[in-house]
Amino acid sequence: MSTELRHRFHQELDALESEVEELGLLAAEAVRQAVDALVHRDDGRIQRVIDGDDDIDARYMDVERRILDLLATQTPVASDLRLVSALMHINLHLERVGDQAVNIAKLARATAALPQQETILIRLQEMADVVVRMIRTAIEAFTRRDLELCQKLPLMDDPVDDLNRGMYRQVVALAADPAALEWGIRMNVVARQLERVGDNAVDIGEQIAFLLTGQFREFTDASHPDTPL
Amino acid sequence: MEVSDLSAWFGSNQALSGVNVSAQPEAVTAIIGPSGCGKSTLVRCLNRMHEEVRGARVRGKVLFNGHDIYDRDVDPVEVRRRIGMVFQKPNPFPTMSIMDNAVAGLKLVGGVGRQELRERGERALRAAGLWDEVKDRLNHPGGRLSGGQQQRLCIARALAVEPEVLLMDEPASSLDPASTLRIEELIEELKREYTVIIVTHNMQQAARVADWTLFLLDGRVVEYGPTERIFTNPTDKRTEDYVTGRFG
Repeated sequence: MSTELRHRFHQELDALESEVEELGLLAAEAVRQAVDALVHRDDGRIQRVIDGDDDIDARYMDVERRILDLLATQTPVASDLRLVSALMHINLHLERVGDQAVNIAKLARATAALPQQETILIRLQEMADVVVRMIRTAIEAFTRRDLELCQKLPLMDDPVDDLNRGMYRQVVALAADPAALEWGIRMNVVARQLERVGDNAVDIGEQIAFLLTGQFREFTDASHPDTPL
Repeated sequence: MEVSDLSAWFGSNQALSGVNVSAQPEAVTAIIGPSGCGKSTLVRCLNRMHEEVRGARVRGKVLFNGHDIYDRDVDPVEVRRRIGMVFQKPNPFPTMSIMDNAVAGLKLVGGVGRQELRERGERALRAAGLWDEVKDRLNHPGGRLSGGQQQRLCIARALAVEPEVLLMDEPASSLDPASTLRIEELIEELKREYTVIIVTHNMQQAARVADWTLFLLDGRVVEYGPTERIFTNPTDKRTEDYVTGRFG
């Protein structure tokens, strides 16, 4: 059974893995660019993030289609099955990260004429730095098959969640100035988008852990009573 | 059914080495492995068919309901009645009628009246999922049925003697996809009443029908466990390599 056909199947799995890793780096870069564009009010860069999402979507669709082909024609099992399943989930998480970058870029454009507030921008940059690092860490853990590294992702995510939760108070403090408040409310949504990027990175880590151990467990459980909003 | 330290030979060639396995009752156990790994030999040792080959011998125990089927005072014919077998290629008696085929084993056992033969034949044909297709032509020769129907007729023949265990040696490998599916559905139904042990080359078939899967390599058990685990997260690298097609 170790035929040329099976060899080609494993080659295709390797190729898909490389493409998902590239997609991860592209999605992380899109988030970084979107937040930079927001901070520096750079409309050219905003447009590049929005346009760049077509490439991310096309890559996502291509990987999805090829995975379905493999499922239909190769009936993968054992570690191959776990890899196919992980690729499918990671691919979707990364496509969402691309969408979150676009949402941030559109919010940057929508607020371009409103007054900015320095502290909130610093918080958003800090969040962006962490979540971009998280996506890259998740991809590195995938490439290296590093269980320990993906288990660090929830810890990296904690400050992101804290910053997101604290954003509300920062925005409320702008209540006296309607224009600043409008900007702040939009920035609260940006913070929420960044927090979701962090969650996607943690979810990718869970998929890698499943790939490596065969056991699926959530690193964090939003339904747990101890989990703050 | 429990196999304990079972080894088997064809002349000087050892086909099985120290096999230990416990088949779960009212469940389907699949035996998988590359060609020549001893799958068919193992299953043939489970109802003493192996010893029918000239020069073949067995060492070890096969406990059935706590008794070793290889004990000196055990009648192999009685063993084969209680542990039935279905082979790779359908082998009905071609000129014998469908009903006579179904009850052929019962007739050999003897002591069964005509009415009871007819009732048990019908019951076996129903259990094999063939009754509705043949009830109006029970006197037609078995050889006129399609390949899939012939295989179900052979299953009916095995069931008619009311075994407790059904051994199946690649029962669908010579059938088309639709007949294969029918056999697989039948296996799913049979496990409610019988312990089913199936040898298959088709790993997707093992994954579909078996509750437990045993991976055999070079006459030795490499891994035995719930099918779901064997096909998603096997513990032995050799199982992983075999089921993913990296060797075999």
